[in-house]
Amino acid sequence: MSLISTKDLTKSFSDSVVALDNLSFDVEPGIIGFVGANGAGKTTFIRILLGLLAPTSGSASVLDMDVGGDRMAIRRVVGYMPEHDCLPIDVSGADFVAHMGRMSGLPFQAARERAAEMLRHVGLHEERYRLIGGYSTGMKQRVKLAQALVHDPKLLLLDEPTNGLDPAGREDMLGLIARTGTEFGISVLVTSHLLGEIERVCEQLIAIDAGKLRYNGPVAAFTELTERLVVELDDEIPELATALRSRGLDVDGSATLLRITVRDDSTYDLIRDAAAELGAPIARMQLTRHKLEELFRDQSVAGAHG
Amino acid sequence: MAETQAVTAKAGALYDLGYQRYTGQRLDRANAVRTLFAFSLRTAFGLGRGARSKVIPSIILGVVFIPAIVSVGAASTTGFTALISYSNHLQFTSFLIALFAAAQAPELIVTDRQYGVLTLYLARPLTGVLYALAKLAALVAAMMVLTFGPQLVLFLGKVFISPSPWAAFKDEWTVLGPLIIGTLTVSYFIGSVALAIASFAGRRAYASASVIGFFLLVPAAATVLRNLATGETKRYLILAHPIQVIIGFGNWIFHIQAKLRTQVGRAELPGSYYFAVMLAVIAVATTVLLLRYRRNEA
Repeated sequence: MSLISTKDLTKSFSDSVVALDNLSFDVEPGIIGFVGANGAGKTTFIRILLGLLAPTSGSASVLDMDVGGDRMAIRRVVGYMPEHDCLPIDVSGADFVAHMGRMSGLPFQAARERAAEMLRHVGLHEERYRLIGGYSTGMKQRVKLAQALVHDPKLLLLDEPTNGLDPAGREDMLGLIARTGTEFGISVLVTSHLLGEIERVCEQLIAIDAGKLRYNGPVAAFTELTERLVVELDDEIPELATALRSRGLDVDGSATLLRITVRDDSTYDLIRDAAAELGAPIARMQLTRHKLEELFRDQSVAGAHG
Repeated sequence: MAETQAVTAKAGALYDLGYQRYTGQRLDRANAVRTLFAFSLRTAFGLGRGARSKVIPSIILGVVFIPAIVSVGAASTTGFTALISYSNHLQFTSFLIALFAAAQAPELIVTDRQYGVLTLYLARPLTGVLYALAKLAALVAAMMVLTFGPQLVLFLGKVFISPSPWAAFKDEWTVLGPLIIGTLTVSYFIGSVALAIASFAGRRAYASASVIGFFLLVPAAATVLRNLATGETKRYLILAHPIQVIIGFGNWIFHIQAKLRTQVGRAELPGSYYFAVMLAVIAVATTVLLLRYRRNEA
């Protein structure tokens, strides 16, 4: 069974704005990261999966149900946590999550019980009887997650769940997502514009840029692709870059700051040997990541897996 | 030793049940609509909400019920049985439920949009149109509590104050039909207009002001137009005045001859015209509301 499958999925809002451009991919159940810069089409994609937006062309299915014809059936088994505020202010967390459970088809008693259970799972205890208007951003994110989980969905769609949270809150939220995916056995599609954040909790990764699919595969392979070694020199030694290139490394950057793609451990040996030969004074060596935007300008990534 | 450990592990497992899958019954879309209706009806009276949300509904509840209750109470102690008439009470509550609708229609639909809750509703097995219908039904039901509720108090008062309640019931029960149709029509008329207007507002205050504005400006405009008009047109222009329409409709449904010095009396139009105007307004307002929410569907 495929979790999400798209075929030539395209969504354009006008002639000039193409949010999704011919997406075709298949993903298996698991924790899936969906990365792209802001405005890359992540929210549009989720709204299509929920049947809230109709594709301009192409098709998509969730758990083998078509987003056009079976949207009510899909919504019954999917939990959605939107990026933006979506909570009323003058209802208590417990009442609201129970209400949302009933809206998803749970009987009254089951909805109350599961609401209490889910709020405990996300770490809201006595606060759940207070009005949501008085909650902190972190508590609101937890309620948003709880309402997405209350009806025991098969798939959770989380849109930028760490947005607006402080570093500790981000850690908590990522931990909750990982637990939900592994211990609960619920598949998760989590979007983010921060690759470094979600790659830690995801098993699979889908990357889109300007509506185009750029990567679909295991997280580990993507991490290798995107890791770069920065070598900073005290003096300008242009020959070093030339020497490294002649040894088959992918190098760019200026005379004193080189960025090198790490293939394996032998890359470090090559750099050491070349620097020793030329007497190049290395001031600093550091593994860094591409920013997503930079990455997609680099056609080698798209070429390799797109 | 090994045995104690096993027991401890078991006890631990008892406390931490872990995640429980839900294997029970899952209800259909009709259940979602009923749930939203009941939740919204409670919201209309501020139930399950903060203390501030209860202020306006409580005041209006008090103002519509107290005269009926006092009237019945006074009649039962003095034996004087002339209670407030149904048609007078309907006129009197019309103004109050318009205020109620102006305050609570935004509470029912504008807040959901303003705070993004609508996104969560639409991600559930529910369409935009069903959402709007549930909200409309909830507001009309809440207004029925305010209109029909006190009328029922008056009705029961008349029956039970009488020396022979059964005879009084037999005399009085035929009024129940007009009472239900009358209060339902007036509630639906005001409620649908209020929701249709509120569906265009981004904030509660604007929505409330627009609804109040509608029920103040339209009568004012209708009055000005009537003063300018002459003859036949002048007579028919009363149908553009929402309050006069409600009065004319009330007279018709309760079979009351309009007094000659009133506007409705002078217009001399068949009572069914007022009813027809209300039905037309209800149809237009409901269509506008549903079209607004149909946009939210793919």
